[in-house]
Amino acid sequence: MDQNDTNSGAGKKVLCIEDEHFISELYVRSLSKAGYSVDVELDGSEGLKKAQTNQYDIILLDLMIPTLTGIEVLRALRDPEQTPELKAKVIITTNLEQREDVRADIEKQADGYLVKAEITPRELVDILAAIQ
Amino acid sequence: VDNLQQLLNQIRKHLVLVLVLENAILLAGIWVGSTYFSIPLAYLIAASACLAAILITVITIVTAQYVIEPTRALWQAIVHLNPYEQGVAAPDIEKLRVGRNLVASLTAQIYQLATNAEHVDIVADKQASNTRAEFIMNNLPLPLLVLDKEQNIVFSNEAASSYLGREKADIQNKNVYSVLDMSFPSDDTFDSWLNTSQVNSATSSRLWERVRLNVTDNQPTRLFDLAGYYNKDNSTGNETMMVLFDHTSQYSQDDQAVSFIALSVHELRTPLTVLRGYIEAFEEEFEGKLSPELQDFMYKMQATAQQLAAFVNNILNVARVDEDQLVLSLNEASWNEVVEAAVATMSLRAQVRGITLETNLADNLPTVGVDRVSIHEVINNLIDNAIKYTGKSTKIIVTTTLNKEGMVETTVTDHGVGIPENIMGNLFTKFYRDHRNRAQIGGTGLGLYLSKSIITAHGGNIWVRSKVGEGSTFGFTLLPFTELAAERKNSDNTEIVRGAHGWIKNHSLYRR
Repeated sequence: MDQNDTNSGAGKKVLCIEDEHFISELYVRSLSKAGYSVDVELDGSEGLKKAQTNQYDIILLDLMIPTLTGIEVLRALRDPEQTPELKAKVIITTNLEQREDVRADIEKQADGYLVKAEITPRELVDILAAIQ
Repeated sequence: VDNLQQLLNQIRKHLVLVLVLENAILLAGIWVGSTYFSIPLAYLIAASACLAAILITVITIVTAQYVIEPTRALWQAIVHLNPYEQGVAAPDIEKLRVGRNLVASLTAQIYQLATNAEHVDIVADKQASNTRAEFIMNNLPLPLLVLDKEQNIVFSNEAASSYLGREKADIQNKNVYSVLDMSFPSDDTFDSWLNTSQVNSATSSRLWERVRLNVTDNQPTRLFDLAGYYNKDNSTGNETMMVLFDHTSQYSQDDQAVSFIALSVHELRTPLTVLRGYIEAFEEEFEGKLSPELQDFMYKMQATAQQLAAFVNNILNVARVDEDQLVLSLNEASWNEVVEAAVATMSLRAQVRGITLETNLADNLPTVGVDRVSIHEVINNLIDNAIKYTGKSTKIIVTTTLNKEGMVETTVTDHGVGIPENIMGNLFTKFYRDHRNRAQIGGTGLGLYLSKSIITAHGGNIWVRSKVGEGSTFGFTLLPFTELAAERKNSDNTEIVRGAHGWIKNHSLYRR
């Protein structure tokens, strides 16, 4: 029995801001199987606009994305003037290694930090189920 | 002038007295000679003349002693002041018989003059050093600010003006924080240091790295190191000194440019993520529909992708160790749980090579303080090694025990080819591999080097015991959490941060 059958994401909405199509395809597949409805955005500024509609429970945010970087999107999401009362949990999903103080700074603002190569899509579903 | 006149009068009086006395003696002699001894007058006058000559000589010699005394005293006073003459005492004016007042007044003036001269020297010195200090401070090619105890800027140099893009008048006599809007990488900030120093310290100094100067829109951001020096209750009113070392170009490059290794790791990880994802999707889609052989192929692909992901982490962490950037967050953990989780992730890799992983875990272990991700890598590396070198044997045993020293000991034992004694000492060296096996078994020689760095940073030891033909046991020790807890900075910080070489870092797979 894997988590995908448990429907842990029933009724929840995920925004996946990810420019690597293969990865977003895999995440959409696993998350949908677990009951989430998933929107994908390929670049930072579009992703930020979508995120600010405040309809999501979880935002998966890559750091190396076009137009606005993930860090810029994260800052905008945490700035109450630009984004009042964001209800979504923001999880950084990246393969990029930061200088540690930068990473610590990101981690302070985000609800989670995942290295994509370390987890399979199924494991991502397990982690999202665990943090809610 | 009065004193001089006085001296002259004194000498004149002395001389008149001496002459009167002398003449009196002579006249008395002539009178006595003619009255009582009836000596002819001509003889007496001749004798008197002789006596007069003798008396004048004697009196002159005696008087000269008196007359020269003031001169001697003055000479003594002058020589006494001469720094190059030793052992000449100051004149004792009270003992003078002649010209005491004159000498007293003159020596007083000599001493006064000497004091003035000395003062002139000091003033000249002071002026010279003030000029020098001003020259140094103003032209120091580093921005320099001096604060008083109200934390207002009382001095700023030329470099500060040009660095901050403000006139001196726009800097001085203002509160330092209204002039410098700084951000620090951690809670250890300049103002917290200064406030603490003002309460607790007489003097204190500190260096901050990577301080950011927040500027208005039309100016470029500045990044610098900041040196602070604090000196309490300074009578000059200069209490705190700040020197800024600009590193804008270097630090902003660091911030923007990801290092070569980090970039390579990113490029390796992205396809790896995709591969692992699609393999998993395949596995799910074909679950129960594959022949045992194809199922086995699937597991081998998964295991190999896992191994590659682990290796990418090894590269990254070795780079961190080498750059002094591996820092661990040590958290309390049940050790057997950690070991079981690590063994579970390795079981597929063992299984696809026909090896079983056995655990033999002691149930009396205290909790340990570990960085889960790093310690996971250590266990993985040791098991990976055992898998590589296990030869025909099919079992690897992982044990945990509480050793005699009260440390938690973990061993990974294989019954494989073993390691010759002469190379055991080099195993934990970077890029070192067993020569005889190099052709047959892959590996970079990074795993044990990294494991040793991680275990050392945990406060433990790593070791190996091996016999050729019988197999090897790799083991490491960890401190119980209670011993590490003493390092905790404060009670609400349950995390202990430690570097392989002393850096503050986070290092985790994911965190909330």
